[in-house]
Amino acid sequence: MYGFEAMTFNIHGGYLEAIVRGYRAGLLTAADYNNLCQCETLDDIKMHLSATEYGPYLQNEPSPLHTTTIVEKCTLKLVDEYKHMLCQATEPLSTFLEYITYGHMIDNVVLIVTGTLHERDVQELLEKCHPLGMFDSIATLAVAQNMRELYRLVLVDTPLAPYFSECITSEDLDDMNIEIMRNTLYKAYLEDFYKFCQKLGGATAEIMSDLLAFEADRRAVNITINSIGTELTRDDRRKLYSNFGLLYPYGHEELAVCEDIDQVRGVMEKYPPYQSIFSKLSYGESQMLDKAFYEEEFHYGVFFAYMRLREQEIRNLMWISECVAQNQKSRVHDSVVFIF
Amino acid sequence: MMEDQEEKGNAENGIGRQKQVKDEYLLQFLDSLDGYLTLLDSLSSTLSQGWLELASARHAMGASRINGALLDLKVHAAATSLKVSEQDVDSMESQPCFTLCKWASSDNGERSSGEEKSLSPQLRHRNNSQLSGIISSPVSFSHFFNFFLSCEEEKVSTRTGTPLILVDQQQRQKSLSVFGVLVSPKLRSAQLSFERALETLVEIANLHTTMLSMFEQVHKELENTNG
Repeated sequence: MYGFEAMTFNIHGGYLEAIVRGYRAGLLTAADYNNLCQCETLDDIKMHLSATEYGPYLQNEPSPLHTTTIVEKCTLKLVDEYKHMLCQATEPLSTFLEYITYGHMIDNVVLIVTGTLHERDVQELLEKCHPLGMFDSIATLAVAQNMRELYRLVLVDTPLAPYFSECITSEDLDDMNIEIMRNTLYKAYLEDFYKFCQKLGGATAEIMSDLLAFEADRRAVNITINSIGTELTRDDRRKLYSNFGLLYPYGHEELAVCEDIDQVRGVMEKYPPYQSIFSKLSYGESQMLDKAFYEEEFHYGVFFAYMRLREQEIRNLMWISECVAQNQKSRVHDSVVFIF
Repeated sequence: MMEDQEEKGNAENGIGRQKQVKDEYLLQFLDSLDGYLTLLDSLSSTLSQGWLELASARHAMGASRINGALLDLKVHAAATSLKVSEQDVDSMESQPCFTLCKWASSDNGERSSGEEKSLSPQLRHRNNSQLSGIISSPVSFSHFFNFFLSCEEEKVSTRTGTPLILVDQQQRQKSLSVFGVLVSPKLRSAQLSFERALETLVEIANLHTTMLSMFEQVHKELENTNG
């Protein structure tokens, strides 16, 4: 308890907090994952999932199943739950819930722009977009030739508009510009989300600070590792890191000059919270943080934590399905993160 | 009598030499068959590894960043091409030799459409051709192929003066850029696995051609013996 949330939170947020805690009870357990990891075919996976909350979403899918179908239907469940929460929410919770989807919106914008650059059909690209990141004028993105047009024609009327101020240029869109745009947008979004949570104050501010700081640090490490050996300069790399988090600012200075994974490991091991978890930094330990924040009450962090846990569960199901489909069951435990 | 013994000795030497030649062809055929089966097994495991690494990259980066809808449909030169040439096995026969030209467009610029088309008729007709070539054994050819690849790597690009290893690295990054510039190391590993698989396929094709040639030689020798 950080303030007097217990006195006022339930007036507007009590129902939805109860709903999300109910949703949390439906997450897959270790026993479910053990059963799924022993499946021989995708139809076996479908059969095991029919006994879970994913059952109604998969039951009408014909055989033979594909891994993308499983992921698509499980994502539909997440979308339905999110939409139910959003339509029941009042301010400021509704804005908070919308913030959770801006990351998907950025991914969808980049997908459409990249696909258009490669002369792909817009309808085909729209089918690949994440449903949580859709907005009305998304198809119009295919018309823009540079970032200025992108902003002027489409994004000025979307929640991403404020994040574009740092990357508006008249340069034509190419692979490097698009990558820089993606990361600059995401950085601006995380910082904006962080400031919004700080404004909310109380338990929400405290808990979301930790969650978003971890998100920013994880992103910084991913950018560093993925940019090793590419033409991204050190200065450009430093500019893509967020301006908050445990690694800000000294860790970022050291990460910016790393040339290989061992140097990155050396930097991370100087920070006690990351010493033991660096090997699972991609997603695993963030799920431990997400789980922990269910133990507190009367804050919005539970909604963020639930969305992240569900997304991780869908990633787990995708990995298990791929290992089963490729007959590589011995590798299934490489990337599955057990939530409970 | 002395002449009879000499003729008998010559006949025995002749039969012995024929037997030696037959054994040689048989050994070469079995060697090439063994190499062929080994390469098939190697191809299967390399492809499995590549597919799993691709799935791992999708798991790390997300399905929206790695999917078929991002592949480039713009007209562009092939990054890698297959060259078919004739090699003389002996004075009577030749056989096709397949060479992989990796990242060929990096040094040669845009290939003309005529040049690309000229490769495909050769590929279509290779099963029916009676080409002549000089390949003494499948083992020596395999060594020649690897030596060819390693020589290529040591060369410097004539256009830019950059070592070819770096040119290859740049071309690999350019190929992956359809998925973004900052991609997971797993995706790069998947690319290397599929590249290795492509090289193995070309080796298999060459070994297959050699194996068929050796089989024909063995068959001929058997017919000669029976005749």
